[in-house]
Amino acid sequence: MKGIKTVAKYLSVFAVISFFASPMYWVLICSFKPTPELLSLKPTFVPHSFTLEHYRRLFQQVDFLRYYYNSFLVASSTALITALAATFAAYSVYRCRYPGRRFMFRLFLVSYVFPKILVLIPLYILFARIGILDSPLALVAAHVTLTAPFSVWILRAFFESVPKEVEEAALVDGATRVQIIFRIFIPLAAPGVAAVGINAFLMSWSEYLFASTLVISDQFKTLPVGMSFFLQQYAIEWGIMMAGSVLIALPPIIGFAIAGKYFIQGLTAGSVK
Amino acid sequence: MRTLRQKIAEDPFLGLLLVAPLLFWVIVTLVYPLLYASQLGFYNVRYVGAPARFIGLSNYSRILGDPNFWKACLRSLIWTVCNVAFQVLGSLLVALVLNQRFRGRTLIRNWIILPWVLPTVVLAIMWTWILDPTHGVVNYLLKSGGLIASPLKFLSSPQWVMPTVIFINVWRWTPYFAIIVLAALQTIPKELMEAALVDGASVMRRFWHITLPTIRPVLSVITLISFLWSINIFDTIWLLTRGGPLDFTTTLPIYIYKRAFQDFRFSEAAAMSVIMFLFLLGFAVAYLRTLFREGAEG
Repeated sequence: MKGIKTVAKYLSVFAVISFFASPMYWVLICSFKPTPELLSLKPTFVPHSFTLEHYRRLFQQVDFLRYYYNSFLVASSTALITALAATFAAYSVYRCRYPGRRFMFRLFLVSYVFPKILVLIPLYILFARIGILDSPLALVAAHVTLTAPFSVWILRAFFESVPKEVEEAALVDGATRVQIIFRIFIPLAAPGVAAVGINAFLMSWSEYLFASTLVISDQFKTLPVGMSFFLQQYAIEWGIMMAGSVLIALPPIIGFAIAGKYFIQGLTAGSVK
Repeated sequence: MRTLRQKIAEDPFLGLLLVAPLLFWVIVTLVYPLLYASQLGFYNVRYVGAPARFIGLSNYSRILGDPNFWKACLRSLIWTVCNVAFQVLGSLLVALVLNQRFRGRTLIRNWIILPWVLPTVVLAIMWTWILDPTHGVVNYLLKSGGLIASPLKFLSSPQWVMPTVIFINVWRWTPYFAIIVLAALQTIPKELMEAALVDGASVMRRFWHITLPTIRPVLSVITLISFLWSINIFDTIWLLTRGGPLDFTTTLPIYIYKRAFQDFRFSEAAAMSVIMFLFLLGFAVAYLRTLFREGAEG
């Protein structure tokens, strides 16, 4: 009886893992298959041979490095600005007291239910008027809006875990409030700040709607826009697409490996009391 | 005399100074666009720089009489309801499975969120490849299993496209919500479960009388979040199908985008997005109420 239960348990776990992991495994191995094997009508579930030709051709045929650089620039700027702005705002909302504080908190919370498309048209017109349309700056400005308000919410659990007594002790010792924030508070809440930064990086790295409308010229295009163009071709170069997918997915996965634990901590602490 | 604690708390100047950058950003990029879009809805702007003429409620009456608008609303409704239902039920199922004691559970519980970490364009390329009628592995498996005679056009036939796109989005978001449900499951006191076990309560009874009541608040929160996020989704649908074939996946955000950037009817698109926002606002208020009932406010 106990044996059957154990088998059932591991079967269910295996089913869940393979449901979510097998599509990703498939893309990974396909990116290393030579073209004849890749397009064979009898797919191989364990690759018979290994090649890097798709990766080589990706860099030859697509301006991949430029898109990569653009995406990296936009996503890291977004992450940095989001982390700073959200940390300050969260400190203000959770640790200071002033009229309108509750309203502020609600405003940030509501702002992530805005339809992106509602913001897009006015922002497009606004950016065109002030002359920053078609620049990485426009994209960063739009992406911070998508990420920062929600980040204030993620930070809540981390900020509440810093005891008020620590701040009080520092104040007694003659430290200023600004010193307290930078020397004591941010280091103690660092996992939360990291979680927020990673989340912002992921969102910005992946974002397509703003990236495809606020940026027009090829030299500023980000990865999602650059690659999606090839998805629309009549004859899709599948090998190149597979290799591109692996390389686009890599930075978010690395980022998640580094700070994913904190991200999950922030995500769950925000929703589960 | 004021205590030190009060002194820390009552420094309105510093508080306002710290919140100012984000507040400014939100006003410029969210509040102003909202007001501007509402104003734009009363004019006949067709593209940037075009002369604007005040036309009152014409845009709104044209939208309400536009059958394509109502079709997009219906598709959004189907899209959203299916997504919410499958994401919430799926995440509950996945969380229950991963809540068991098994080898390597910490690792799996952290990495199960990977589908959500993938950039949307990778998601689109991945599934377009897997579901491809000629080279796709899913059609190969179905065919060699004898389930189908000819390959299914998952992303290009009218009857399959909507279920397929919904499936892909559910695949992506289920782990994200499962992580939240899993954290809630772990708050159930062990003693309670053990006592029920001693009393001989069956698996179903334990689930209905202990598990479900404990995680119900979390389930209602994720239902609302899933609703608000699903209805707004643009990237996933657009990258997979561009709203096609023949508008079969043109949900409201896709329709608004097409009206603005393909038909160059900025004002009409703005008016539509205002209608959508007002509708969502109702749900946003419900969402805030649910959150605050859990006592979440700082």
